[in-house]
Amino acid sequence: MSDPTTTSLAPSVVSVQRKKSALMLDQTRPDSSLPCVLDVKDVTITIRGRTIIDEVSFWIPKGEFVCLCGPNGAGKSTLLKAIMGLIPVTTGAITIGGESVSVGHHKIGYVPQRKGFDRDFPARAVDLIVAALRGTWPAKIKPEERERAKAALTKIGGERLLDKPLASLSGGETQRVFLARALINDPSLVVLDEPTAGVDARGRAELLELMTGLSRSDELAAILVTHNLAAVAQTAERIVYIEGGELLCWGLPSELLGQTSLTALAFQARDHHAHAPDEE
Amino acid sequence: MGLFEPFQFEFMQRALIAGLAVAAVCAVIGVFIVQRGLAFLGDGLAHATFGGIAIGLFLGASIDTAVWYAIPFTVLIALGIGFVLRRTQLRGDVATGVFFSFSFALGVLFLGLRTATDRQIDVESLLFGNMLVVTPGVLRVVVIVAVLGLIVTIALWSRLAYAIFDPELAAISGVPVAVLEYLLLVETAVVVVVAVKTVGVVLVSSFVVIPAASARLVGQTLARTTVIALMIGTIGTGVGLVASFHLNTPTAATIILIHSAGFALSLVWNRLRR
Repeated sequence: MSDPTTTSLAPSVVSVQRKKSALMLDQTRPDSSLPCVLDVKDVTITIRGRTIIDEVSFWIPKGEFVCLCGPNGAGKSTLLKAIMGLIPVTTGAITIGGESVSVGHHKIGYVPQRKGFDRDFPARAVDLIVAALRGTWPAKIKPEERERAKAALTKIGGERLLDKPLASLSGGETQRVFLARALINDPSLVVLDEPTAGVDARGRAELLELMTGLSRSDELAAILVTHNLAAVAQTAERIVYIEGGELLCWGLPSELLGQTSLTALAFQARDHHAHAPDEE
Repeated sequence: MGLFEPFQFEFMQRALIAGLAVAAVCAVIGVFIVQRGLAFLGDGLAHATFGGIAIGLFLGASIDTAVWYAIPFTVLIALGIGFVLRRTQLRGDVATGVFFSFSFALGVLFLGLRTATDRQIDVESLLFGNMLVVTPGVLRVVVIVAVLGLIVTIALWSRLAYAIFDPELAAISGVPVAVLEYLLLVETAVVVVVAVKTVGVVLVSSFVVIPAASARLVGQTLARTTVIALMIGTIGTGVGLVASFHLNTPTAATIILIHSAGFALSLVWNRLRR
């Protein structure tokens, strides 16, 4: 239960209607016999007296690709930060492979939004990937570290990028490097935070293809935050939809995307990243 | 007189050691400061030092002992800048600009509050410094602070670099980003206070910014950038010191002009490489 002394995001009339619409939908949950990779259990996050996430629960089994959707301000980024251990939960618990986030964070591979880092930093792709491997920035790279970074890039068809300065990479290439970086430590969960935002159409198509490859993996669980309906349709094995900090639906794409009402529900907040002029 | 003959004089030997120590530590710290977008920080903290020294003088300290008032005052200002940076949406130059003005105004105020019977101080030497009059006592403090600063920065280099590249990614990897950022600010504050004793309030930030900015134009990795900044900082200081002796020009200003020439060469290198 959230703290009664804090102000909750008051649901608007529209979101009450959406809640009713969501409740009428079939929502198939994952098979409970599958091993759980990420477990978000009754999580409430309150920041400066404001409840951003309100008793959200869902879990991701091994090998499942989940799309986390919701309008701007729904609390997706806050939830993602909590999953990565960057902010604490107020109540409830998040576990990765049965361990608390503070212990299990090394099992997460993270792909940020493209705009989220300094492109002027004097670094090459290999430095960035090895930094994830070591947990610190490398002053000098050992041959075996270089080989591992190369292998990670080769897996996603980007070996030619190994020694390129980050500042010289296109949006799609940059995200490809970040994907290799996310995979270098053999994570059990990959977190993708709007990876196609700010990437041109070609780069976006390439990334989508790579993410589809991830989605087909039976070993890796992934959580993709996106506004891009095409990305959801192509990659999602299950959809978690949150709005106003609350979980509205959690089910299969066939159950949620097939319904005109829910497609409107989830994406009427404007698929701005998919349609932004700089991406066309 | 031969090129290196000036170093037969003890005051030149002390100036060389102090200059190299200040140049080395400022250049290495400067790489992180510049990369973090805080190029204005050196200037801001140097002016905070002026405020701290003025408070010390007002409280009865001599110009030499006032540094012990300036260090905690400047560290507090650095922590204040860090707090504003982390807790508000303001950029580094804005946060530094506010504290810069506050500290300098405080310095002018406290100097003005001194009475006519108080000891006279040479404000010009405080503002512009004079490496040639470094006493053995000051030299000892400069070298100790510089060596400690270099040890701390080199020991934390990999974590600092990661935190500055992307605080979020570094935090996910377990790097204590906030602690490192505050530590860098405190370290810069202490180094700047000590450097002010040799190169003055006005010119100290050049030792932090110019070698690091020049190296940034040439280096393709952060490790190389750090080494290049160190080389530009120390070689420029040595050349500038010798040149200033033979040309009979102000020492710190000559060194900074040599550093600026290094920046111009780096710029040419950067354009030719493209």
